[in-house]
Amino acid sequence: MSQVSSTAPLVDVDALWVRFGPVDAVQGIDLSVPAGTATALLGRNGAGKSTTMRVLAGVIPPTGGLVRVAGLDIRQDTLAVKRLTGYCPDVGGLVPRATPWEHLQLAARLRRMEVGWEARARDMLERFDLGAATHRVTAGFSHGMGRRMSVILAAFHKPKVLLLDEPFDGVDPLGVEATMEVIADARAEGAAVLVSTHLRELAVEACQDTYVLRGGQAVAQLPAAQMSGEEGARAYRSLLD
Amino acid sequence: MPTAVSSTEAPPSASRRTSWLREQRRAVGDVGPLLRFRAASVRGRSRTALVLVTSTMLALTVVAAWFPAFLPEGDERRSDVLLLLPSGYVGVLVIAMISAAASGGGRELLPREQGVAYPVSATTDHLGALLMAPLNIAWIVQAWTLLGATAYVVGPRWTLPLALAPTLIWLAAATAIAQVAAWTIEWIRRGYRGVLTVRLITIALALGLGLLIVTDNLVKVLDKSPTVRILFGVLYGADAQVWPWLQVVAALLAITLVAVSLGAIAAGAVVRRPARDELREESSVREARGNPTSDFVALLRTDRVAIWRSVPLRRGLAVLALLPGLVALAGGLDWLMLSILPGLVASGGALLFGVNAWCLDGRGALWRDSVPVSPRLGFASRAVVLMEVLLLVTTLTLLMGAVRAGEPTLSRVLAVVCCGIVVTIQVVATALRWSVKAPFAVDLRSARATPAPPVVMVGYSARLAFSTTLTGMVFGVATFAPWYWSLLLSVPFVLFSTRKLISTSNAWADPETRSRVVATVAS
Repeated sequence: MSQVSSTAPLVDVDALWVRFGPVDAVQGIDLSVPAGTATALLGRNGAGKSTTMRVLAGVIPPTGGLVRVAGLDIRQDTLAVKRLTGYCPDVGGLVPRATPWEHLQLAARLRRMEVGWEARARDMLERFDLGAATHRVTAGFSHGMGRRMSVILAAFHKPKVLLLDEPFDGVDPLGVEATMEVIADARAEGAAVLVSTHLRELAVEACQDTYVLRGGQAVAQLPAAQMSGEEGARAYRSLLD
Repeated sequence: MPTAVSSTEAPPSASRRTSWLREQRRAVGDVGPLLRFRAASVRGRSRTALVLVTSTMLALTVVAAWFPAFLPEGDERRSDVLLLLPSGYVGVLVIAMISAAASGGGRELLPREQGVAYPVSATTDHLGALLMAPLNIAWIVQAWTLLGATAYVVGPRWTLPLALAPTLIWLAAATAIAQVAAWTIEWIRRGYRGVLTVRLITIALALGLGLLIVTDNLVKVLDKSPTVRILFGVLYGADAQVWPWLQVVAALLAITLVAVSLGAIAAGAVVRRPARDELREESSVREARGNPTSDFVALLRTDRVAIWRSVPLRRGLAVLALLPGLVALAGGLDWLMLSILPGLVASGGALLFGVNAWCLDGRGALWRDSVPVSPRLGFASRAVVLMEVLLLVTTLTLLMGAVRAGEPTLSRVLAVVCCGIVVTIQVVATALRWSVKAPFAVDLRSARATPAPPVVMVGYSARLAFSTTLTGMVFGVATFAPWYWSLLLSVPFVLFSTRKLISTSNAWADPETRSRVVATVAS
């Protein structure tokens, strides 16, 4: 696999291995995401995308390999890595009985955000069309509303590494647009963005690089441009089998 | 255009009846596959444990129903138990009703989230709830007590099985009647001003009970209870008077069948009404509070809302706080007996959610674990919130119980207070250890859901009841000792539980363990 970007990687994964009992969910993935770029993880269900994202978010410890985020070893400096990342999990991501504002208050406190974070939080809630639901308990949210809120929680503290796992899943066009803007803004501010998705066309639109995972391994690393259009669809399809 | 019914067609009412009967038969037939589906999810060591627990429970039931018959007791004690049996039958019914009503219609055979993909009828759901009702330690202990008391009254005769039959059928009948009552209450609760109506009914019943106690009429009312006929059935069976015994048994079987059928109708009516208060809670708007002043306060707030904004948990905690207190009031329990209550209440509270504490985060668990905070602080927050909730309900119970417990001397009060604190820490330590050791993916939005599978819950409740009752008995003895004995006795208990809490906190801080818990509860 060839290196697409030459800038220093903020996310550097070397031979990542994750085992759950008898199952090897990730089997030696190498991955790097430079600052100011967005990279997509593509692949079928069970390919290891979400597990890789969870490792980078510090939620799952790696069984083997080396994972560095902004130069920090995730195994040694998990808490420091968590301060640098923003994570939108693939499922749910919201505490059912808390409101969006309470989620933001918790995150702002634990991330030591500076006074005045509220203005950015309100702005993001409006951009994702969640302004009216700011103080509503999230248990009553639709799937799409939950996804949008999870993206806000991942991005509102302007993390150095933005991890979005299935951010477009079940989200309406306005939500997709807002998510694209968040990715673009993060890149512009020098963050490394990693997007895991099944939706190839949206991945191509949002990212510059793509990794295709299959059976827990990275089977290809391609510039996103090569994955677009019918030609890209054929190439992607051939990599999945 | 409407046309007349042809001579070869069945009249519409007959056709509806046939269709209804076909649906009911189908609903009964669906219970088997659902049970098998549920049982199939228990694998490996859990399956072995299930077989072991079931066999032990059955063996203990046989022992409870036979052994007391051989106890050498004087005739006077035997006749005392005989006189109390009709009230015992009422007690089973009342506890079954409260248990089923508090859980919004009894336990689910299939969790709501899993069940939506299948055409499960209300009748199947009802029958499932009936089958799950005995998987409850309160039900099991009462069943053992009733069977044991019956065997004791009858004595070692060959007719003992005949004498036990009415009691056994009454257990089924009481469970079915309780289910009808629970569905009816749930139906009312889901109606217009339903919550208010149910609260008013509960207050009226409590006042009625209070009036009976104050006017000293409770015993008189219980003496006139129709359950005395069940006792007649027991005695007919003991004396081998087959014909009158058969009449009682037939009547009880008929009551059971009618209750099961009525329950199916009531369950159908409940399904047609949305759960208003739960939906209202889920779409409620909450006034924003000021920003938290520390990490710990921020975590405490999040953990607290998970409990106090949940309708089923609030309802469960209210029942736990009030019911044992009312029983203590009604029975005029003394300080010695009062020391047993904290254990029961704290165990009940932990069984509502504490034994799988991280499931309160639901699918938000993954995000919560990704925010930068020490896992030990997160654990401490969870422990504090569980402790404050259990202490609150225990205090309410003890305050009610203390009203008729007799003179509140320093040693009595201190013994009961120490017991409450010790037992709460003990339960919190045990519940959090289980939460870390064996997490389950559970959606506690439904009042009918349990934080762990029903069979596991039986094991949890039995272990909690055993350990807390023992502790309660120790402090019960302390009510007779000088006051400082309660403080001295508390020290080893508190130290042991604190050690347990620290070791669980260390386990939680381990990334491997934490990731397993988080991934499970969020799945």
